[in-house]
Parts: sequence; structure tokens; C-alpha cells
Amino acid sequence: MNLTAVVWATTGSLFAIGLAVVTFRRQLLAMLLGLELMLAAVNVALVHHAGLFDDAEALAVVALVIAVAAAEAVVGLALILRVRRSGRGADASVLTELRG
Amino acid sequence: MTAEAALVAGAIAVFFAGVMLLHRSLYVSAVSLLVVLLQTAVLFLLCGSPLLGLLQVMIYAGAVMVLVVVTIMAAGHEGERFADLSFPRPLAWLGLAAAAVETALILSHGALPAAAAPPDPELQARFAAALFQPYALATEAVTLLMFLAALAIAPEPEPKA
Repeated sequence: MNLTAVVWATTGSLFAIGLAVVTFRRQLLAMLLGLELMLAAVNVALVHHAGLFDDAEALAVVALVIAVAAAEAVVGLALILRVRRSGRGADASVLTELRG
Repeated sequence: MTAEAALVAGAIAVFFAGVMLLHRSLYVSAVSLLVVLLQTAVLFLLCGSPLLGLLQVMIYAGAVMVLVVVTIMAAGHEGERFADLSFPRPLAWLGLAAAAVETALILSHGALPAAAAPPDPELQARFAAALFQPYALATEAVTLLMFLAALAIAPEPEPKA
């Protein structure tokens, strides 16, 4: 069994499921979780290929992606909480206008 | 051996990602994502990058997922889908069994499981150097970004009566 095949199968499945979560789930929080899943899937592929091609910069990119994804999650959660506090609920379908 | 161990971790990750997609409860989705993120940390370890696996567990599973679960709990009273904080028992047992099997595998092979590709010290050294030479600006920018993100959750000042 080839590790690269296993990594590709795993990351491809995780990325596709993450994309499906963002597409089909209507809650904002679930969509945010789907984004996190897609980012994690890409990170695994990057780490594996960094080892294959002996590329240290790919590992550096993964470290930066993990940090940026954490910041993105925090800002996303803050926006979701603010939308909830404004009383407009938690579904993406109610957010149809870019109002201040 | 590494491919088989990666297959176990990958299969568990894909299964819980499917649960995350299909289950209605946000709480179950969040906890399922937590299991997936821990499995990706195992995959990092198997691919020979223990430092990134540790970062993954600390930042993603430790910080981000705690924030998500707290957000779900904080909004619990507003709507049926948020108020359901139960977790299906079979899924819980499966997650615990996966963790136990993987922990046993790690402990039975000493500090680093035989299945994991030995981290190339020279590659890890170049990785650390890359973060603070060619990527120094990006590293500083990300640090500032995380600080600004933390400010985003600061509560709004109460309007003066």
C-alpha cells in the first residue's frame, strides 16, 4: 500500500466533504466548520508532499495556514455572534443585505 | 506500516467528516470536526512532521474548537438546533476507541511510533529557518492578524442610558 495514495484519498475525501458542508448546510457556524475541514485537508497534503520533495518552505506555509485559519475562525465566530445578537438568527438565508 | 497507520487515521477522519456533514446538531458537527482535526494531526506525525502535528492539536483542536463549542453553548437558548448538546453514544465510543488504539500504538513503540516516518532533522531545521528568514514578514503579519482577531470578540461597549 502506498502512503501517497492513502494521503490523496483521505485529503480528497475530506476536502470534498468540507465543500459539501459549506454548500449544503445552512447554518453559518456549520459553514465555518466546513471551511476549517477544507483547510485541514489541504494542510495534510502539503505536509506529505513537503516530506516527499524535501521542501522546508511547504512546511512553513502549513504553519502559516494553521495560524491564519485560527484567526479566520475567531473573526468568523465573532461575526456569527454579532449577527445572532442583532436578532437575525443563524441561517445564511436570512442575511440577504449588506446593511451596517 | 506507515501507509496502514495512515489508512486507519484517514478512514476515521473521513467517517467523522461524514457525520459532520449529515448530522443535524451543530454540537455533534463541532465535536466530529474535533475528531477529524486530531486525526489530521496523527497524519502529520505519520508524514514525519511532529512539530506541525503539535501545532495542529494546540491551535485547531485546543483553541478554535473550544471557541466553537463555547459559541454553540452560548447560543443554546436560541433555537432548537443549538439547544441539543447530546452526543450519540456509539459515536462517542468509536471516537474513544480510535484514540485508545492510536495511543496504544504510539506508546508501544516508544516516543515515536515505528509507523511514523522519522522526521528529517535537516528538513525540520530548514523549516524553522524558513519561518524566520524568507517568511519572516508573513510570520509577523500572521501574529498581528491573530492579535486583531482576538480583538474581534471583544464585546461592544454598552450604550450609555
